[in-house]
Amino acid sequence: MEAIAFTDVSKSYGDVLAVDGLDLTVRAGTTVALLGPNGAGKSTSVDMLLGLLRPTRGRVEVLGRPPDEAVARGEVGAMLQSGELIPELTVRETVDFVRRLYPDPLDPDEILTMADLTGLVKRRAGKLSGGQAQRVRFAMAVAGAPRLLLLDEPTAAMDVESRLRFWACMRDYAAGGRTVLFTTHHLEEAEENSDRVVVIARGRVVADGTAAEIKAGTGGHAVHFTLGGQPAAGLDALPGVTAVEIRSGAATLRTTDADATVAALYRGTSLEVRDLRIAGADLEEAFLALTRES
Amino acid sequence: MPFGYLRIELLRMLRNKRYIIFVVAFPVIFYMINANLWGAQTTEGGVRAGVFLMVSMGAYGALAASMMSTAVPWAQERQSGWLRQLRVTPLPNTTIILTKLAAALLLVLPSLLLVVLAAVVTQGVSLTAGQWAALIPAMWLGTIPFAALGLVIGSLLPVDTAQPVAMLSMFALALLGGLWFPPEAMPATMKDIADVLPSFSYADIGWHLVSGEAVPLSDAVTVVIWAAVLGVLAVLGCRRAVTRA
Repeated sequence: MEAIAFTDVSKSYGDVLAVDGLDLTVRAGTTVALLGPNGAGKSTSVDMLLGLLRPTRGRVEVLGRPPDEAVARGEVGAMLQSGELIPELTVRETVDFVRRLYPDPLDPDEILTMADLTGLVKRRAGKLSGGQAQRVRFAMAVAGAPRLLLLDEPTAAMDVESRLRFWACMRDYAAGGRTVLFTTHHLEEAEENSDRVVVIARGRVVADGTAAEIKAGTGGHAVHFTLGGQPAAGLDALPGVTAVEIRSGAATLRTTDADATVAALYRGTSLEVRDLRIAGADLEEAFLALTRES
Repeated sequence: MPFGYLRIELLRMLRNKRYIIFVVAFPVIFYMINANLWGAQTTEGGVRAGVFLMVSMGAYGALAASMMSTAVPWAQERQSGWLRQLRVTPLPNTTIILTKLAAALLLVLPSLLLVVLAAVVTQGVSLTAGQWAALIPAMWLGTIPFAALGLVIGSLLPVDTAQPVAMLSMFALALLGGLWFPPEAMPATMKDIADVLPSFSYADIGWHLVSGEAVPLSDAVTVVIWAAVLGVLAVLGCRRAVTRA
């Protein structure tokens, strides 16, 4: 069962093409990070999944139905990028109101525990800190026990500690076999909290896989050493090397197999290699490489 | 299910200090002050001022309530993203709009009934059962044009503009409708304007009812036309607001 299916979806605002022929399916029960720079089309895609926006072209389906039907049936919960609460209402009143809109919601105490709000139930929304308000909005998103949970940059306004707590809450919810899709431009967040990372840039998918696969796919490691005045010819022919950069006597070899490259560097060349250093390409580097190319 | 939404809409306004002070407390205080000063005098129509003022201040309170509970809160919810959050729940758009209107009408009752209570208790106002049975529903449902106007303002204008526009509209309707000064005291041009405004016809229905006179058809027609026109605009405005949220 596909929880999410974008089939050749485009969305334009006037001349601006926000989403450009997006094809993406998400199997039920997975947690997917939609990763991309600002303006990549992440929010537009989420809004189309919620029926808030209609695609200019193509088809969007949520749990096998048109998005607005899935929303009306209470199968989708969402935490949008912005959204203030009603200041005069308490946390419990707000969460309980939303909970009762769904046919088969979670137990009230379960929601409050999951969103880490048990100590704040009687507090009015107007008196919550930014991080606390975000947790209430998370509680509103999960209250109806939706099969698909969409989180659009949920941690944007949070400090480090709130972030960690938030992701723990999200993993709790996902652990129930539900589908979660969240957008972020924090790479570590994508890596640590998802089963699958989909990188989008300019409205298209540019990479799709586990965080490890995405790193590997963009030249997993970098081998740095001092070359001095020696000739660089032949370095690009070493096993595993995908790119060579020489800058004022310092060489950087991008490689998919650091061991083979280093072994060949010592055994297969007559170069005098000094200051050798191997660095793992992090997701950040992979991400930049991917979004630059496209 | 939709009653949960109505419940929180009422709850939040009843906890809103501005609503309680300006909408619930002010009209009843104005009534007590004015009735103390002039309550015993008799108007041109032969009605005691304490009774006449009950209608004027009740009408003012109802007008203020119906506009204060709609325009600014609605504009705020639209802008703050609250409405957008509601849209991604199973709550149907029509329920959102109907609840807004229903909440606005229910929130008229505290100020209206408080003025009536003050009139009965402090001025010993007494009407026949038939008069009460006509007066209260007329003064309650007669606020539909104002609630609708508030929703139109809140649907179309950003909060910063909705606030002054709603206030000015409310004061203009109250003043020109003769809720603060008797319409007889107005210059002729103002009286002409008053005649076509829903606020004057609305209060005029009440004044006739407490005088034991038949309600002029023109008053009823004016209120109904305004209610229909503004009601349609409110529904269109709200739909636009909800679908664009």
